[in-house]
Amino acid sequence: MSEEKYADYIQAVLKECPDADSAEVATAFAKYEDEFYIPPQDAMRSVLRRFKSGTGPARTATSSRQSRETKKVALLTELSGDDRDIEIEVTIATHNVRDQLIRGEEKQIAFGFLEDNPWEDNGTKTRWDYKDWGPHANLAAGSIVRIEGASVNEYNGKMSLNINQSTRIVVLKEGVATTVSTNEPIDISSVPSDGYICVVGRVLASRPDQIHRKDGSGSIDVVRGRIADETGTIGFLSWEPFDHEIGSLLKIDGAQVRSFRDTPELNFGRTTRIEVFHDTNFSDLETLSKSTSLTISQFRDGSRDVDAVVQITEWNKRSFTRDGEEKFLWSGQIADPSGRCRMSAWQELPISVDDLPVTVALKGVRIRAWQGIPDVTVDNNDQVEIISSPPWDESIDLNNHCVEISLTEMVAGPSRVGIETTGLVVSVRDDSGLISRCTECRRVLRDGSCAEHGENEGNEDVRLRLVVDHGGSTAAVLVNKEASLAALGMTLDALHASVNEHGKAIFVQNVREVLLGRTVIASGRSIVDEQGAMLLSDSLEIPEKDAQLRATELRTLWGWA
Amino acid sequence: MQRQRIVRQPAFLMLASEFGTATLNEKGSGEFDPSFVITKLGSKANRIVACGLLERLEIRETSNGSTLYQGQLRDPTGLHYFSVGDYNSETMREMCNKWSERTDEGEPILLMMTAKTRWYQTDEGAVYTSLRPEEACEVTRDVYANWLLDACEATMSRMKAYSSSLEFEPTMDAYERSDLPAGMKQGLLAARNHYDEVDLEPFNLNLMQALDIAEGRIAAATTPPPMMRLPEGEEVDAASQGDGELRGFILHVVQHFDQGDGVDFNTILKNAAARGYVREQAEAMLDELSDSGEIAEPRFGWFRALAPTEE
Repeated sequence: MSEEKYADYIQAVLKECPDADSAEVATAFAKYEDEFYIPPQDAMRSVLRRFKSGTGPARTATSSRQSRETKKVALLTELSGDDRDIEIEVTIATHNVRDQLIRGEEKQIAFGFLEDNPWEDNGTKTRWDYKDWGPHANLAAGSIVRIEGASVNEYNGKMSLNINQSTRIVVLKEGVATTVSTNEPIDISSVPSDGYICVVGRVLASRPDQIHRKDGSGSIDVVRGRIADETGTIGFLSWEPFDHEIGSLLKIDGAQVRSFRDTPELNFGRTTRIEVFHDTNFSDLETLSKSTSLTISQFRDGSRDVDAVVQITEWNKRSFTRDGEEKFLWSGQIADPSGRCRMSAWQELPISVDDLPVTVALKGVRIRAWQGIPDVTVDNNDQVEIISSPPWDESIDLNNHCVEISLTEMVAGPSRVGIETTGLVVSVRDDSGLISRCTECRRVLRDGSCAEHGENEGNEDVRLRLVVDHGGSTAAVLVNKEASLAALGMTLDALHASVNEHGKAIFVQNVREVLLGRTVIASGRSIVDEQGAMLLSDSLEIPEKDAQLRATELRTLWGWA
Repeated sequence: MQRQRIVRQPAFLMLASEFGTATLNEKGSGEFDPSFVITKLGSKANRIVACGLLERLEIRETSNGSTLYQGQLRDPTGLHYFSVGDYNSETMREMCNKWSERTDEGEPILLMMTAKTRWYQTDEGAVYTSLRPEEACEVTRDVYANWLLDACEATMSRMKAYSSSLEFEPTMDAYERSDLPAGMKQGLLAARNHYDEVDLEPFNLNLMQALDIAEGRIAAATTPPPMMRLPEGEEVDAASQGDGELRGFILHVVQHFDQGDGVDFNTILKNAAARGYVREQAEAMLDELSDSGEIAEPRFGWFRALAPTEE
């Protein structure tokens, strides 16, 4: 009976594989249809593959496996980064289609994430991203499919699945609506730097914006804003219409986190579900706005809609010419008890240099960074409100205020101005001491030549280049001329004399005898980037310690007195 | 794949007893992956800061014609073995030359050094640790005393971390969830799985000794180095001190590794090399000992001690 039903398909298979047994081919089609609900037209390729280039099904199976070596797995965790031809059954959790220019050709591709272990309701499921280059029309969110012939992609330690054009998708269970991610909401302060998440928060700010495509093919209407919970605030960018008012409490599920510079941001797209959330205990707008005010130490490059109370300690007007027109920019130093940084304004603020320091409340300002040091940008003067007295102890002299932080905190944190830290000197670099700087760019000259400006007679300078360690963290410390001379207890003339008498190498060796293995306290500004942490230090102190006293203290502390 | 930037490894302040008793190492598979020595207290150290009395510093010409300085640094808890070679800076080698001359004249020198940790295992499984100094300088007694206290504090915090780590299941999962110091977790786990139960008492004693010295109760830091005790206590007559040590060491190895058939030539030389003796010298000493009848060669290449002493 089944032979008749599949006669046309069997004919087609036999044409390709003349040695195949028609009864066996019929059984194969029947199996696909009965067991997996795969109609013969869809099963065609699989059946063909099975019977191709052989006579018996058993032999064909082995030979085809040898040629392609399909790796069948039940769980994503069984796969490794170099698997090329795999077969697995998964749930398609999300499915988004987008246009992408591939080698000059506009193509539609789909992406999203999938989960393994599809048949168990409460089993542990591993979640991977996938990209569908097909795109396959039968892939849909919520469905359970068997993917045959996909390849694994590993990038920066993150695994994902590539569904290629030749990959077969067998739908095992149709998708039931979008049963996307029943994610538990997380605190805004613990939002990771990428991934899909769910948060509950109140809208603090929201305004329509436009993104212009770089290729000039038009612009996209978006909405930018900021939401907050008790733990913090985060900016968002909605690619879909977003008309919730400021103050609304929302549950946002399936938002994608992307990081702009050092600042994570939520992206709302087609698959993001936003619904009004009801919780009478959730903090109101006023409380949230107040508690979401940042300190200077919390400023991150790329942040928007930042509120803060700071003191302006220096303020200057600068002019520059753009397009033949003279324009003005105001900039200066600001400080709070957590640190110092710069601020720039594009409009004049009602501040006179004679009034400094002036305490101001900043609202909705942007943070940019130069050399890792935050720089507040004020676009409109209504973002700045002068307040009569600072909310902290007024006696703190913020001009010379140094915040004491551990080396570990410095290394892990952003670049900061006005910090002080303690560490053990583990290296005095050979290029410490007298150096020549390029007269153009202040770079250190190597063999009398600057990397950028070539041969150069150079300007003399003094510096110490050290490495300090503390608590398992390590940082470079560059000590400026005044602090270097002070730490060595030398005048510039004495240093010259010493270098001339002993030579550079022995001079550095003498510096080692003063510093190596010693605990030092250094202050200045830090630059933290992917190359590690560096402290540009304007003060280096080697605290004197009384060993006898310390030993006695330790003995008492450890109960050995 | 993006290449991970090599980050500088932090240095551990470490007394000789902790470093010298380590028998575990770890090295990643990549060409530039750092290697580590993992101590009983769970310090996973690629670099340490050591300080102490320069007890010996000798120049050796190696077989390929390069110069090697080999030395010992004594702190109150034991000895660090270190070597300085052509890979070190010229300043470092020059300083070694000067220090070597001065120690030969019996002048006590206190050295502070930051050094990379090295590890060597013989075919028999004996493990030796040694140091490759990166930077070193002479320091005063006060600096030494303060360094001792710094090292004591660091050691004590590691002992505490080690003790509290025993409360957790020895799995990375359990350690990750614990409040153990983040930088110590891997080392603590590796140490716990490798070393048998670690007795902290010797470390406590070491710290007490170190405190004594830092307080100036013992003038040990500036007294001449104690002679290495030779296991058989025989007379070292005309031979130089270094030769005497080598003689003692070889006799010790021959007795120690003898499982009944004697000890083979290579084992002896490898152990000698691991302790910093040059192969040629060790070979010569082996000949000398055979000639003087202190050791015998019952089969070609296999040596036995003739008059083993009970220890």
